[in-house]
Amino acid sequence: MTKLWRRLRYLQQRERMEADLAEEMAFHRAQLERDGAPAVAMGNVTLAREDARAVWIWPWLESFWQDARYGLRTLRSQGGFTAVALVALASAIGINTTPFTLFNAMALRPWPVRDPGRVVNLFRSMRGGVAGYGNAEADYLAAHSRSLSGVIAMDNREDVKSGGRTLHLTVVSANYFQVLGVQPVAGRGFLDAEDRAGAPEPVVVISDALWRNQLGANPAILSGGSPLRIALDEIPFTVVGVLPAEFTGTSPLRNDVWIPRAALKLLRPHDPSVEEYLTSPRTCCVSVAGRLAPGVTRRQAEAEIGLLINGYRASQGLEQGTRALVTGTAWMEAPGKKDKAAGAVVLLFVAVTLVLLLACANVGNLLLARAAARHKEIAVRLSLGGSRARVVRQLLVESSLLAIGAAALGLVVAYIAPPFLVARLGSDLVFHVTPDATVLGYTIAIAVVACLAFGLAPALHGTRGQIASAIKSEARFGTPRLPLRSVLLGVQVGISVLLLGAAGMMVRGLQRTAHLDPGFDVARVSAVTIGLPASQYGGERTRAFTEQLVAQLDRVPGLPLCGISSDSPLGNSHTSTALELHPGEAQQRVTFHEVSGGYFEVLGIAIVAGRNFTAQDAGRDSVLLNQTAARRFWPGENAVGKTFQSNARARTVVGVVKDAYTSDLGAVEPTMYFPTGGDRGVPLVLVRDPGPGTIERIAAIVKELEPRAELKAEPLSENFRQQMQPAIYGAAVAGFLGLLALLMASVGMAGVFAYAVNQRTREIGVRMALGARPAQVVRLVLGSSLRALVVGAVAGLAGTAAMSATLVRVMPGLQPSDPAAYAGVLALLAAAVALASAIPARRAARVDPLRALRWE
Amino acid sequence: MGKANPQLELLPGTLDMLILKALGRGAMHGYGIAQILKQTSDDVLQVGESSLYPALQRLLLNGWVAAEWGASDNNRRARYYTLTAAGRKQLAAERADFDRMVAAIQKVLATA
Repeated sequence: MTKLWRRLRYLQQRERMEADLAEEMAFHRAQLERDGAPAVAMGNVTLAREDARAVWIWPWLESFWQDARYGLRTLRSQGGFTAVALVALASAIGINTTPFTLFNAMALRPWPVRDPGRVVNLFRSMRGGVAGYGNAEADYLAAHSRSLSGVIAMDNREDVKSGGRTLHLTVVSANYFQVLGVQPVAGRGFLDAEDRAGAPEPVVVISDALWRNQLGANPAILSGGSPLRIALDEIPFTVVGVLPAEFTGTSPLRNDVWIPRAALKLLRPHDPSVEEYLTSPRTCCVSVAGRLAPGVTRRQAEAEIGLLINGYRASQGLEQGTRALVTGTAWMEAPGKKDKAAGAVVLLFVAVTLVLLLACANVGNLLLARAAARHKEIAVRLSLGGSRARVVRQLLVESSLLAIGAAALGLVVAYIAPPFLVARLGSDLVFHVTPDATVLGYTIAIAVVACLAFGLAPALHGTRGQIASAIKSEARFGTPRLPLRSVLLGVQVGISVLLLGAAGMMVRGLQRTAHLDPGFDVARVSAVTIGLPASQYGGERTRAFTEQLVAQLDRVPGLPLCGISSDSPLGNSHTSTALELHPGEAQQRVTFHEVSGGYFEVLGIAIVAGRNFTAQDAGRDSVLLNQTAARRFWPGENAVGKTFQSNARARTVVGVVKDAYTSDLGAVEPTMYFPTGGDRGVPLVLVRDPGPGTIERIAAIVKELEPRAELKAEPLSENFRQQMQPAIYGAAVAGFLGLLALLMASVGMAGVFAYAVNQRTREIGVRMALGARPAQVVRLVLGSSLRALVVGAVAGLAGTAAMSATLVRVMPGLQPSDPAAYAGVLALLAAAVALASAIPARRAARVDPLRALRWE
Repeated sequence: MGKANPQLELLPGTLDMLILKALGRGAMHGYGIAQILKQTSDDVLQVGESSLYPALQRLLLNGWVAAEWGASDNNRRARYYTLTAAGRKQLAAERADFDRMVAAIQKVLATA
C-alpha cells in the first residue's frame, strides 16, 4: 500500500520528479566528462531517462492490462453469468441515468445562451415571499446598475393565434437577444426604439422551428428583400429576425414568437391594463435577468440591486424592504423551486437508487457463488505466492469490467429512453435531453460505486478461507453456509418488497381517488370555453360582452340552467388575493373564483348558510365563502353578514357554500367566490346535462354577440381525468420499478436456491438413501434461505411504512396503512419465491442417491 | 583486462543489491555509486546511466533508498541517496539468497 501511495505521489508531483531525474543525469554526464571518459560510455541519454521514468508507471499498467485480459477471458468463458449480470446492472444503471438525464435537462441546465455562467436571474424577497420585478423596476435597473452589464425583462404572455395556429409568445425588452448573446441566423434582434411604450412597433422575431415548419423556410427574410409579415391575433407584424435552432427561449416551455414589450399595446389595443403593465412602478411582475459585469460576484450584484431598488421605490413612494436575490438560470436555482421539486424527485431517486442497490446485491451474490466455484483457482494462486491484495485486485478488475460494460449499456438507455418519454408526454416543454458531461459523470460515478458495492465484498470473502483445505477438497460437507449470501438475498427481498409496497399503495390510492367525490357533480356537467378574437377585446369590451352573455343565457327560452365561471372547476386555477379581516391586521391569502349564482346550482354545491348570488349581485361587493374559509376567518361564528377589506374595497359575506375541490384534487383551500364581473377575461359557461342541441344554442347566442368567437365544449370529467394524470404516471413508474425489482430478486433467489442444491448434492443423496421424501428435501433446500426471506420481507414492509409518510405528502389521498396493499405485496413475493424455487427444488428432489454418493 | 576485454554483463537482479551494498558506506550520488562499483570491481563492473538510473528509481519506489539534494565535492547540486531501514533489511535478504545461489552454482560446476 505504501508503494501505491509513493506511486500516486510520483504521479502527482510528476513534473518535479522528472526535472530531478534530468538534472541528476546531467550531473552524471558532467562528472564523466570531467573525468575524461569516452563519449560512448554515456549511452543513449533519452532512452535511459525513459527507462528510469517507466519504473514508476509501466509495470503497474502492465499488470492491470494482464488482469483485464484475464478477466475478459473469464467473463467470456462464463457467458450465462456475464449476460445475467450485465442485463441486471445495465437496466439498473439505465433506470438511474434516465430520470437523471431528464432532471438534468429540466432543472440543472442553464439557459442555452452565450457564457451562461454569467447570466443570472433576479428575484426579490419581500415580506417573507419571493417575487420578481415590474417592467418599470427592470428599466430602472437597466439604466443604473453597474454590477450587471445588461438587464433584460421577459414575460411569457398568453398564446396568440396566427392563421389558425396557436403560437407561444414571449414579450421581451429590446436588448434581450443582445444581452443573452443570441445571434439571429437571419435578420436582427430588436432596436431600442422598438420598445418604447409611447411608440410601439409591430416587429417580431421568430423561432427556427416556426420559420422552417410553418413559414416554409421563406428565404425573403434572408435576402433582406420584401419584408415577411405574419398576423398575430389578426394584427400584422413584420418578421425582423429568425433565431438559431439551439435557442429555444428562456423558459422550459416551447416558444415561437418574441415581440418587444411595447408591442403588447398593438396586440391588445382595448386593454387599458397594458399601459400600466409597461410603465407603472406598482405593477409586478415579469421575469428579470442580467449579465454580470466582468469580475462582479453574485453577492456584490445582490447588494447593489437591493440598494438601487429600495432607492427607486422610496422615490415612488412605495414600500421598501426588498432584499435582492441573484441566482443562476437553471430551473432548480430559482428560489423556492428546490422545495417544490424535493418530495417527488427525492422519492424517485431513492427508488431508482434502491433498484441499483438491488442489482448490486444480485450480481454480488452471483459473484459470490462464482468465487465459491473458483475457490480452488484462487487458493492455487494464493499458494503460488500471489498476495491477497493482488488476487482481490484481479477480482475487482473483473467486476469493474462488468460495471464498465453495464455503464456503456446504461448510457445507451440514457440516449434512447428520455426522448421517447418526452415524446410520450407530448407536451410543449422543450428539453435538450441528450446526455451531457453531467450525465456522463453521473453514470460513471454510479458505475464505480456499484462496482465497489457488488465486487468488493465477494472478492474479500472469496480470498479469505484456508488455502490447504480448499485445495484438498471442494465438497465441504456440512460447512456453515456463507452468511454474506443470506444478507445479500435479504437485501434483494427487502428492496423489492419496499418498492412493491410503495407501488401497491399508490395503485390503491389511485383507485380511491378515482372514486373521490370532488364535492360537485363531475359526471353530468360540461364546460363551454369561449375564445374571442383577443386583439379586439379586453377591458371594457370584455366586460360588456360578459354582461350581455349572462343576460342572454338567462333570457333565451328552453335552455337548461347555465353557470358562469372565470375558470374551470378542477382546472388548477389558484388565483389568490389578499384580504384584511380588520383594518391594519395582518393580510391573509385566499383563492378566489368569479362565478354567477347558476354556478352552484349547476355543479350541485349546496349553500349551507345565507343566500346564493342573484342577478343584482353582479359587479357588487357581495362574496360567498366556502366552509373552510368561513371556519378559518370567523371560527365558531356565523360568517354571513361579516365584512372585510380586499384590494381597498369593503366586501360583505352573503353566504357560505359547502366545501368542494374547485381548484384541484389536492386539498380544499380557503376559497372566496366573487360575482361575475368580466375582469378576469371571458368566462366559461357550465351546463348540466347538455341535451342534444344545447351546445349549439349556446353557440348561437355567443355568435350573435361576436361572430368570430370560437367555442369548445368539454365534460368536466376530462378535467378530473387530467387531475389524476400525475398520480397515474407516478403509480405506473412505481409499479414498473416494483415489478422489475421483483423480477431481479426472483432471478437472485433462483440462483441462490440452485447453488444450495449444488452444494448439498451429496447430503441430499445421503438423506434420500436413508429414506427422506422429496418434499422433505425441498424443505431442506429452501429452509436455509427462509430466514433471509422472512427478515428481508419484514424489513421491506417496515421500510414501506416509513416511506409512506413522505409518499402521502407527495400524493394526497394515500392511506399509509393499507392492509390490502401489504397483503398484495406478500402474495406477489410468495408467488415469486415459489417460481424461483421450482426448478432447483425439482432438481433436488430428483437427485439420484447412488450418483450423488459416487460423486468426486 | 584493459580495453581489449569487453565488459561483463551483470547477472540479472544483482545491480539493485550492489547499489544497496555501495550505499552501505554512506550517502552517495549516482555518479559516485557508479565510480565505487567500478573501482571496487577493478573496472569489471562499469554501470552506465541506462541501467543505473532505472535501478535507482526502482529502489526509490520500493522505499529501500531515500534521495535528497546536496552539494557535491566540486560544489555542484547533486542528488544523494541513502539507505533506509527497509533497504538494509532487503540487502541482507538479497545477500543471503545470492550467497546460497552462488554456492549452489559453484557446487554444480565443481561436480558436473
